[in-house]
Amino acid sequence: MSKMITLTIDGRKITASEGEKLLWVALENGIYIPNLCAIKENNRLSASCRLCFVEVEGLAAPVTSCTLPVSEGMVVKTRSPRVDRLVQTAFELLLSHHRLECSSCSKNGSCELQKIAKERGLKLRVKRFKPLDYETEVDDSPKTFVFDRSKCVLCGRCIWICRNIAKVGAIGFSRRGLERVVSTFGDVPLAESPCTECGLCVEACPGAALARVQA
Amino acid sequence: MKLLEREKEIISNELQDIVDEYQSKPENLIPILQKVQDKLGYLPLPAMEKIAQALHIPAVDVFGPATFYNQFRLNPPGEHQVKVCMGTACYMAGGSIAMESFERRLNIKEGETSPDRKYSLERVACVGCCTMAPVVVVDDEVEGSVTPTRVDGIMLSFEASDGEKKQEQVEGPEKEQREELEKEEKSEPEKKEGE
Amino acid sequence: MNSASIGDFYAEIKSKADAKVDALKEKPVVWIGTATCGKAAGAMEVKEAFEEAIKNSGLDAEVKEVGCMGYCYAEPLVIISKPGFPDICYGYLDEGLANRLVEDFLMNDDPCFEYALVALETNDYFPTFSDFPRGVYEEKIILEHCGFIDPGDIDHYIAREGYASLAKTLRMQPEEVIREMKDSKLRGRGGAGFPTGVKWETCSMAAGEPKYVICNGDEGDPGAFMDRNILESNPHQVIEGMIICAYAVGASRGYLYIRAEYPQAILRVKQAIQQAREKGLLGDSIMGSGFNFDLEIFQGSGAFVCGEETALLSSMEGKMGIPQQRPPHPAVSGLRGKPTVLNNVKTLCYVPPIIRKGADWFKSTGTPESPGTAVFSLVGKVNCTGLVEVPMGTTLRNVIFDVGEGIPEEKGFRAVQIGGPSGGCLPESALDIPIDFDSLQEAGAIMGSGGLVVMDEDDCMVAVARYFLEFTQHESCGKCTFCRLGTRQMLDLLTKITKGEGELSHLEILRELAEDIKGGSLCNLGKTAPNPVLTTLRYFKDEYEAHINKRTCPAKMCPDLIVYYIAPEKCSKLCNVCVGSCPTEAVYTREDGLKAIDQEKCVKCNNCLKTCPPEYNAVVKLSPPELLKEKEGNLS
Ligand SMILES: Cc1cc2nc3c(=O)[nH]c(=O)nc-3n(C[C@H](O)[C@H](O)[C@H](O)COP(=O)(O)O)c2cc1C
Ligand code: SF4
Ligand code: FES
Repeated sequence: MSKMITLTIDGRKITASEGEKLLWVALENGIYIPNLCAIKENNRLSASCRLCFVEVEGLAAPVTSCTLPVSEGMVVKTRSPRVDRLVQTAFELLLSHHRLECSSCSKNGSCELQKIAKERGLKLRVKRFKPLDYETEVDDSPKTFVFDRSKCVLCGRCIWICRNIAKVGAIGFSRRGLERVVSTFGDVPLAESPCTECGLCVEACPGAALARVQA
Repeated sequence: MKLLEREKEIISNELQDIVDEYQSKPENLIPILQKVQDKLGYLPLPAMEKIAQALHIPAVDVFGPATFYNQFRLNPPGEHQVKVCMGTACYMAGGSIAMESFERRLNIKEGETSPDRKYSLERVACVGCCTMAPVVVVDDEVEGSVTPTRVDGIMLSFEASDGEKKQEQVEGPEKEQREELEKEEKSEPEKKEGE
Repeated sequence: MNSASIGDFYAEIKSKADAKVDALKEKPVVWIGTATCGKAAGAMEVKEAFEEAIKNSGLDAEVKEVGCMGYCYAEPLVIISKPGFPDICYGYLDEGLANRLVEDFLMNDDPCFEYALVALETNDYFPTFSDFPRGVYEEKIILEHCGFIDPGDIDHYIAREGYASLAKTLRMQPEEVIREMKDSKLRGRGGAGFPTGVKWETCSMAAGEPKYVICNGDEGDPGAFMDRNILESNPHQVIEGMIICAYAVGASRGYLYIRAEYPQAILRVKQAIQQAREKGLLGDSIMGSGFNFDLEIFQGSGAFVCGEETALLSSMEGKMGIPQQRPPHPAVSGLRGKPTVLNNVKTLCYVPPIIRKGADWFKSTGTPESPGTAVFSLVGKVNCTGLVEVPMGTTLRNVIFDVGEGIPEEKGFRAVQIGGPSGGCLPESALDIPIDFDSLQEAGAIMGSGGLVVMDEDDCMVAVARYFLEFTQHESCGKCTFCRLGTRQMLDLLTKITKGEGELSHLEILRELAEDIKGGSLCNLGKTAPNPVLTTLRYFKDEYEAHINKRTCPAKMCPDLIVYYIAPEKCSKLCNVCVGSCPTEAVYTREDGLKAIDQEKCVKCNNCLKTCPPEYNAVVKLSPPELLKEKEGNLS
């Protein structure tokens, strides 16, 4: 049992066990911080979505809360002009590479992206950046779900689940840079991969890249 | 992509030895892939699958690194490999002009192999000969100060050396490769994956 | 094992090495530079010519390979040592000159001064390094032996005090070694300038066994080649540095991470490791001291991001080279989760001289906060390209105009790009700042790996910024949002600007994005990627504005904003080299015999401009392209 400590988040005093990551401490106490890529059980931190920035007293610049261990006396602000600006830019960048069709989307209403937009007052339709080309082909080979890369934010949650909970390892990251994608071996459709269609990845997806086929 | 007989043989007979040489440890994946590519010239999917089995890791964990690094190719290289340096010095001195000239002469784009598998064209980031910019590496020979005129010269020397080879009547694997290729005539230029 | 026997061990290998090297002094030796730069310039052909000519002459002389001495502009280079003469260096060799040198100098006694570049020892006939500005400003610590010793023979290094520092180290306590390194204030030369001694101390105190030492020879900066050069020219100094580091931190295993694209460096290092093992300098009980350490090469597979330390470690574990969140730092938890020292090639090269001559000696060079020397690969529009080593605190002006002897063809200086894709473009006004880690940071650039690319009036700063962004965009690992998507958005905006489709509002978006990518990216690739854009926006804003407002590229470099034009008043009917030079047959002969360009066919390859004889100089570039109408209008 690790030591309990007290920290302040947005003026609220909170007790938590030392060393736990700030993001989880905040979320478990009902304080929202945008996040997409964090998985509590994963020790190899991803820290790739860059949405969970906060200000910590004594640190010169905003830091990602999913990687920051809490300690005694820490004073955190989840909002500041600098934080808001970083979160807005990261969010807009993600959406500049995303097929936006909320009204016909199966995740409409339960989408993490919509949630972030709502919590932080951000617009889903981005003006500042030009939309980038995205992959248009949808893998509908599995019986119960589809894989639509045009809505993938590369959080990596599906890959982690597939490997560590489902213990299958059908999907992984491949390629580099803007071409980085979640893919099967040799880019074959999921039905031709070792995928067992257990559906855990669909639960893990924050958006509608992996989504149930509506009956 | 169809495998040549020679390639199939290597995959079924030699891959296991290479993996054994590296104690079947997944952490040695990169040197294993390098060695396999040395043998085959590229990394065909069946080879990667076999490596994954031998290392007891998901096949997609081999596919990831194979598509991540510049060094690995998923398609066979051309007989002649042209690598145009796009390092800073070469770019400033006209590297992109050299690249365009090759694209024009070979009628393929950067990252492609010609349909007859004769030429492949790649960009590389600095080969470390900046003082001779722009630099092109042609079949492992470094050529300096490459202008469009020099590109023509390089192409001529390819054609000349190939002419000689034809007269010698090539036997063995190369002949087999050519024959097999003649069978699959209509193949498209192959894009190098991961580019 | 007592320290006396380590001394004896060293004395023995040293005297053997001395004997071998002294024997060479009895006869003429041709030392030929066969590092990659030399080979590319034709060194192997020259070597064969020497061997052939010497064989035919019946002389008792030897031809030996050495690495690169940094005068790359004059490759192929040889140094000829002949008893009774000072060692003399010749440049721009070819087969003919090789024959001539054998005949005139080796067989007879005429040293052919007309072809000599410099003499290596003071003498009555010919100037030495110290007689040139370059020799005045240069001070060599890590390049000292490069190009002067045979990298394929360990005895050549030992004869020049090589491995003496190791012998000294093994008789010190590890803490003393670390103290000396901390005292020296050596800062890492891989880019960030982190104090090396502190890194070693952290690793030595971290828990975990075994510990590792890794030499970072990934050198992905697309304008730098000094690490390659050092590995090819003097691999033992790096290896000695690694063994000393291993002893100090208690590591038992080391790796040299070298790019697979550097086959010659890999070969040299392989040989060097083998020879060091044979001499008892690597492996079990080094020099009989009881200390065990061995080395291996890991070939990097070509990804710029793998120079970043956590990505490098991922790739050594068989994964994609994706950076990880730090801390933990590798010194605490590195390769396979064990404490690992990761140092740059150059950093490790400083170690043997520091141990041998002491921290105070090292601090006597350079500036108080950045002691020692800076090594640059000087390339681009500068006369004497090559490798340069100057004390920290030297100004860029001295490096470019004195050591590099200025800009060719009397063109004007425009900018110098320092630090590669993570660095920045500095203008004329920054030439007088003394170079060190901190002053460069202030100017918006970074020391980086030491690539120094000089640009003249024909180089467009917007195109340069775009080039670097394209590079980082292509090399981004793709993991995190800012770097993956942000650099792409910046690149698209810059592309628009270089095509004349930019708007002034784009400059504001560029700046905002640049700042957010700096602040928000996970690793230093992303955090530094906007530097080339930020510095050019800061120092060359007028060039951006010209592209946007006037659709003009002031340097006449951006292909979409220029046209080629042949001035009829200068063109001659008697000449038609340009017609033949054009790869697309865009240049044609008009009815009146003068030449003109079919703009539809022109691919802007610059060939006609290059081939037009200087007496006519008829081909010009026009920007904006609309000027063409004006010119042609005037004619009719
Ligand atoms: C994108 C990127 C590329 C890098 N490339 C190199 C490199 O090629 N060589 C190198 O020594 N360090 C490189 N570094 C720096 C290393 O991460 C690390 O700081 C360095 O090797 C530490 O050695 P030093 O303390 O001797 O400088 C790079 C860093 C980043 C972020
Ligand atoms: S900053 Fe770029 S290179 Fe670094 S982790 Fe992020 S995406 Fe990868
Ligand atoms: S949740 Fe912290 S970076 Fe994604």
